[in-house]
Amino acid sequence: MEETTSLKDILYTLKGQFKLLILLPVIAIAFTAIVSFFLLTPKYQSDTQLLISQTNGGLDQAFTQTEIRTNIELINTYNEIIKNARILEPVILETNVDLTTSQLDKMITVSTANESQVIKISVEDTSPEQAVLLANTIAQVFESEIPEIMNVDNVNILSPAKIDESLSPISPNPYLNMAIAAVVGLMLSIAVVFILEYLDTTIKTEKDIEEALKLPLLGSVSNMDTMQESTKKYT
Amino acid sequence: MTRSRQKVQKKTNSRNKTQRHLIADLHKHSPISEQYRTIRTNIEFSSVDKELRSFVVTSAGPGEGKSTSVANLAIVMAQNGNTVLIVDADMRRPTAHYTFNLANTRGLTNVLSKQSLLEETVQKTNINNLSILTCGPIPPNPAELLNSQMMEIMMKEALAQFDIVFFDAPPVMAVTDAQLLANKVDGTILVTSSGKTDKEEIIKTKELLDKTKANILGVILNNKPVDEKSYYYYS
Repeated sequence: MEETTSLKDILYTLKGQFKLLILLPVIAIAFTAIVSFFLLTPKYQSDTQLLISQTNGGLDQAFTQTEIRTNIELINTYNEIIKNARILEPVILETNVDLTTSQLDKMITVSTANESQVIKISVEDTSPEQAVLLANTIAQVFESEIPEIMNVDNVNILSPAKIDESLSPISPNPYLNMAIAAVVGLMLSIAVVFILEYLDTTIKTEKDIEEALKLPLLGSVSNMDTMQESTKKYT
Repeated sequence: MTRSRQKVQKKTNSRNKTQRHLIADLHKHSPISEQYRTIRTNIEFSSVDKELRSFVVTSAGPGEGKSTSVANLAIVMAQNGNTVLIVDADMRRPTAHYTFNLANTRGLTNVLSKQSLLEETVQKTNINNLSILTCGPIPPNPAELLNSQMMEIMMKEALAQFDIVFFDAPPVMAVTDAQLLANKVDGTILVTSSGKTDKEEIIKTKELLDKTKANILGVILNNKPVDEKSYYYYS
């Protein structure tokens, strides 16, 4: 019984501030929409995939489990190498981009599909063309450098980055941002409503009077401004 | 800021003051009139042994609906066949003459300063059985006047001529007038306004009135938000 009453109170409180409850999320959504669509520069991502496999001196032999495992372990090493200045410096020279190695480093994500021998190099950039160019150059430089560094020749470009695939920006995602803004805005407005309710120490209902004063209630009179319309029909 | 808003509020009030204030006369069968009749009944039943004939109506702060309550309660009591007198004892900000559209050239202050007799000064309203003693010229020393010997004499005279006497008092938190009056009358009625009266202030008001041995009959809750459901009963 007690619980239903308090739940009712909560709903009543929220209902009373309905406008605020709607307004805040709407403002949040509008704000994020403006920021996402007009202010943030869109970023494009382009991927290139590398296959790591031992050529094994051309022997026509099936791969053994050990070899595959060795390759997978090597991939971790490659991840580090790709993001090393040894690779990135030639890339910058070759592509003629206006970036430092650490800037470029931040744009690159190297990942492997679980337990496979395929490495994916993703490059994020504000220009899709540059992203493709960078991804491909990194792959090429890596492919040509790796025999020198590791003394192995087991890297092949599986699929180079292509421009047409990455035309739509990956970030910002305006709709996702707006959805997050809506949820955050709603939570914020609920919090504001309850803070306002908590700070409001005025008498509101008959119950407040009984609790605060311990005096009998002689009666209550409805708000006359809102009642005025309805009272007209009684005349 | 609040001050100017109050002024604006007052202005809009005065535009339809007569209609608003005297709802119990103008719309006899409206829900609000019914609410005042409920209050009347509750007042009538609030004392068993002692007959209650003089009342002071006050509140914690200004603008919580004292004058409106006095006017409408007096009307529903007059409709019940009692002869009723309203005394505008709010000598700081008198309003009764506006409410009933009467002149305020002579009133309570003249009676208390022995410039005129009660019978001569009381004005009849166009509502049966209802008379008003307006405030009169605003005196420099309201509290002194209310606490005078002449006040007691005036009250006795009033109760000899009328069945019921209502005193419209200034707010308790502002001045001591209401406390002085509450000590002299049979019953004190506290007016609160939903969403306006502060809990702390009304508790303090009750304490102040208790100190003067006021017989607080109970509380009226004004400006209660209109609940749509409550209409169905009446319509």
